[in-house]
Amino acid sequence: MSDSVLEIKGLEVVYSTNRGDVKAVRGIDLDVRRGEILGIAGESGSGKSTLAVALLRLLKAPGKVTGGSVMFHPAGRSPVDLLKVHGEELRVLRWSALSYLPQGSMSSLNPVMRVHDQFKDVIVEHAPDRKEAVSDMIPRLLAQVGLEPRVARMYPHELSGGMKQRVLMAIAVALEPDLVIADEPTTALDVTIQRVILQSLADLRTDFGVTLMVISHDMGVHAQLADRVAVMYEGQLVEVGDVRQVFKDPQDAYTRQLIESIPKLGRRAS
Amino acid sequence: MKSELELRGVQQRFHARGVADGYITAVDDVSFSLAASPPQIVSLVGQSGSGKSTIARNVLGLQKPTAGSVLYGGKDIFKLSRAEYDEYRRDVQPVFQDPYAIFNPFYRVDRVLWKALKKFKLADTRAKGLELIEESLRAVRLEPENVLGRYPHQLSGGQRQRIMLARVHMLRPSFIIADEPVSMLDAQVRKHFLDILLDFQTKHGMTTLFITHDLSTVYYLGGEVMVITKGQIVERGPVSTVMHEPSHPYTKLLLDSIPQPDPDQRWTSRIAVDELERVDDANPAADTKPEAPIL
Repeated sequence: MSDSVLEIKGLEVVYSTNRGDVKAVRGIDLDVRRGEILGIAGESGSGKSTLAVALLRLLKAPGKVTGGSVMFHPAGRSPVDLLKVHGEELRVLRWSALSYLPQGSMSSLNPVMRVHDQFKDVIVEHAPDRKEAVSDMIPRLLAQVGLEPRVARMYPHELSGGMKQRVLMAIAVALEPDLVIADEPTTALDVTIQRVILQSLADLRTDFGVTLMVISHDMGVHAQLADRVAVMYEGQLVEVGDVRQVFKDPQDAYTRQLIESIPKLGRRAS
Repeated sequence: MKSELELRGVQQRFHARGVADGYITAVDDVSFSLAASPPQIVSLVGQSGSGKSTIARNVLGLQKPTAGSVLYGGKDIFKLSRAEYDEYRRDVQPVFQDPYAIFNPFYRVDRVLWKALKKFKLADTRAKGLELIEESLRAVRLEPENVLGRYPHQLSGGQRQRIMLARVHMLRPSFIIADEPVSMLDAQVRKHFLDILLDFQTKHGMTTLFITHDLSTVYYLGGEVMVITKGQIVERGPVSTVMHEPSHPYTKLLLDSIPQPDPDQRWTSRIAVDELERVDDANPAADTKPEAPIL
């Protein structure tokens, strides 16, 4: 068995417009190793989110995948090309093997359902055999992301942005997926909450061996969390490497620019 | 136009589920004042749930505090006469976070500007009114022909937010209460917006209370900053001082939580935040490394 969870080869995604196709992802080759936290960096419009939704098969028209393959190796199942699975086969993979942690935690939870029922929804739908265990699972899952059991009885509007994001994290890992793709998981949050979320994400890997792909435009997030960083620019990967190498010894001119352009803020070394 | 807006011992409690006495105190004995002259920008920074937006609602008269008072020109805003209240309403203007929510999607965006003109009787003729509107739109770097006659969904978030600034520009209030006005805008549009606020301060003498959770925005605006946590203001001072020599442990924690873009300077300690009771004091003192620079 390969030690990669995901092998992306030559992935191409375009958005069709009146003025022809816009290539958002132009031939990406990337391996995601089992158990690692892989950061995807790049500026707005570089194709980071398009890459994520394409992998998750959530790409909507006018976007379409025009080439490449994405081999996914879930533990204990046979490898599949994510670009070729459909219908039931894809539905079975979702949440149980491959899950998504979106950016907009504000709009990702159902406003008229208690947190408890949102967990139940996912678990019953994707792992009907664990239906009985749901009530025991929820407090444990909430504790994993540092939330108290009483949160389960609450509605989304009673939670702060950071708590909602953590509820989503708990739902994302509820069925112990092989890979979680997190798209800008902390972007809308303030710094202390962001720090807590990053902590919890790191814990998920340490405690449960979840493989994480974290998309963020914030180089600080990658420096704090990632094992490896892949830098995207105009739909292509310009550099992939160990986090230390990327920050300390960037090989590509764009990466160097990206690191140099990080705003200098806060207490200075004076 | 009055010269001062003051909060005196403001406390705001809300009913809440699952807490000990059935209440949470969102704003706890907050006192500060904003002077119209010299015009200044005062940022109020704190994490979500710290009570900053509640303070905005109190200052704007949208929520009556459970204790303490909000004074405009020395008078309690909830005890103003009709005429005084109208003056206060004009002189203290809000800019809110969500550039989508403030517009009625069925009306053209012009409406928010015309409504303000009529309510405050800024022009006697339609031509004069239009002139004012166009002038104000240009002041916020919008081309009138590009935005007038359009519906909210036809404009970008940054454009919508600037229309609200144009409205403020028309009214020339002494005070702007801006509650997270840029948190839904991307970096470039954000800078644009902040530059307009700075413009308003220097050209039109407006004082802004700028509420945000984003430290880089505070840094960009300069002026003064107040740090709020658990409903209490724990530090106030010039931005440069507070950012470089924070005196309160919470401010230190906040600054230390900016992720540093250096994998060799990862956080070594953990923090815990209970957002229902708000921040705990997870020993922030031990957590900060004053000698470590934040890049």
